[in-house]
Amino acid sequence: MKSYFLNIFKSLRSILKGMLLTAKYAFTKKATIQYPFVKRELPTRTRGQLFCNIDDCIGCKLCAVACPVDCIYITANKKGPTEEINHTSEESGKKPRRFHLPQFDIDFTLCCWCGLCTDVCPTNCLYMTKNYEFSAEKRQQHIWQYGEGHKPGPKTEFNRPGDQLKLYVD
Amino acid sequence: MTETTLQTQELRINMGPQHPSTHGVLRVELVTDGEIVKRAIPHIGYLHRCFEKHAENIDYMGVMPFVDRMDYVASMNNDMGYAMAVEKLMQVEIPKRAEYIRVIMAELNRIASHILAIGTFGLDVGTFTPFMWCFRDRELILDIFEMTSGARLLYNYLWIGGVWMDLTPGIEEKIKEFCDYFEPKIDEIDTILSYNSIFIHRTANVGIISLDTAISYGLTGPNLRGSGKKWDLRKDEPYSVYPELEFDIPVGSGEQGTVGDCWDRYIVRVREMRESLKIVRQALKQIPEGLFRAPIRKVRPPAGEAYTKVENPRGELGFYIVSDGSLKPYRVKAKSPCFTAISCLDEVSRNEMIADVVAIIGSFDIVLGEVDR
Repeated sequence: MKSYFLNIFKSLRSILKGMLLTAKYAFTKKATIQYPFVKRELPTRTRGQLFCNIDDCIGCKLCAVACPVDCIYITANKKGPTEEINHTSEESGKKPRRFHLPQFDIDFTLCCWCGLCTDVCPTNCLYMTKNYEFSAEKRQQHIWQYGEGHKPGPKTEFNRPGDQLKLYVD
Repeated sequence: MTETTLQTQELRINMGPQHPSTHGVLRVELVTDGEIVKRAIPHIGYLHRCFEKHAENIDYMGVMPFVDRMDYVASMNNDMGYAMAVEKLMQVEIPKRAEYIRVIMAELNRIASHILAIGTFGLDVGTFTPFMWCFRDRELILDIFEMTSGARLLYNYLWIGGVWMDLTPGIEEKIKEFCDYFEPKIDEIDTILSYNSIFIHRTANVGIISLDTAISYGLTGPNLRGSGKKWDLRKDEPYSVYPELEFDIPVGSGEQGTVGDCWDRYIVRVREMRESLKIVRQALKQIPEGLFRAPIRKVRPPAGEAYTKVENPRGELGFYIVSDGSLKPYRVKAKSPCFTAISCLDEVSRNEMIADVVAIIGSFDIVLGEVDR
């Protein structure tokens, strides 16, 4: 009989203790961020969407080899003997660009944001931006093109022979 | 109606795979007699992602992101185990600074993992407030990880031969600030959850694992220490720079009930967080200057085999790698601590109430991503 009432008393006491502690938090600042209206500032190392500055790319394909999920598709055609070989920019070491790069596509449905491709890039032309808001209605729109002669953005044409085999087409 | 005409029948019910307290996708087949559980048969495999087979088809460095995804709430600790195995194969010495960065990150991740375990365990047994507090504090650790590694959950930060990048300038102050902030918060968790009389009634004397059972099933980590065995790889088979750091190993002593009950397993995790804070503080003091990654040009270990084990938040995680001298591993086998814990479920939950099975699964702190791999 005694332990029965002691039990009730103990439980009530621990409820009260907890209530007092939680009541304190009613007067502190809220921890929740209202996301679409308020956005956090992201640190500089944030691994967001990949971006390739194709003017600095030398077509070495190291990124495509390092990628564990094979989501980078590159077509590199060697320039002819009469064609002029230009160089990459000053910051990336003035390396000769011996290839035409008509295709540099990244499939963001496969990408796992590991950052291995950016580490191996010898000219630092492939890097990760802070962008994380690129939702789309179709899977095709997640394949981004960065190749020469294309505006960086979702791929619109799927006419190269390899495209139909490698990429998702809804 | 006389007693002879009454029939009792065992009822088989499914708990999961969509049950909220199975921590992922686990299906437990319960054979019940009224409210009493006669058998609990776990069915696993819903989250199988072919990690081991997949690892045979990618190079050593490329396995790293997949190792992250095994135990997705303690990625840093997983990375440490795999990286150490490959380094053992290659016989490279990694710089002291890299070792310290690894230990700091691993211990912070241990805290983050234990916070999650405590919060969700509270949620399983019916209290909601500590869960929200735990997630609020875990967010601060994730912010630290985001600053150093750029990602919030799957870091891929500890690389073969060291770490991806050096610590961000100013992150040391941030970590120290967190340590000072978090220590009083553990006291709050103690007040609202650990020594709450209702919580003790719900967890003490429930799901008792005796030391013999624990050892025969191969339990490791907090589950084994909750049964009263003082066994921690960081102390007993030290790796990395753990011998240079001072910390204690909390064990369950049956304070509120019997040794090896759910409350013991829970309180070991709470006390381990304090020890982890101690380790982080010491490591920040002792961290030397130097390289953050050994100069490895290509990860191509010689033919051979290596096994390493590390103390994860959930127990001993082992990696066995066989190399044939090529760029890809010949075989990778992971020994998961959660798999042994889930194999013990049947024995522990016999003759318990159905509602207590929820508490038992919660106290094991399993991550299904690691059980199935």
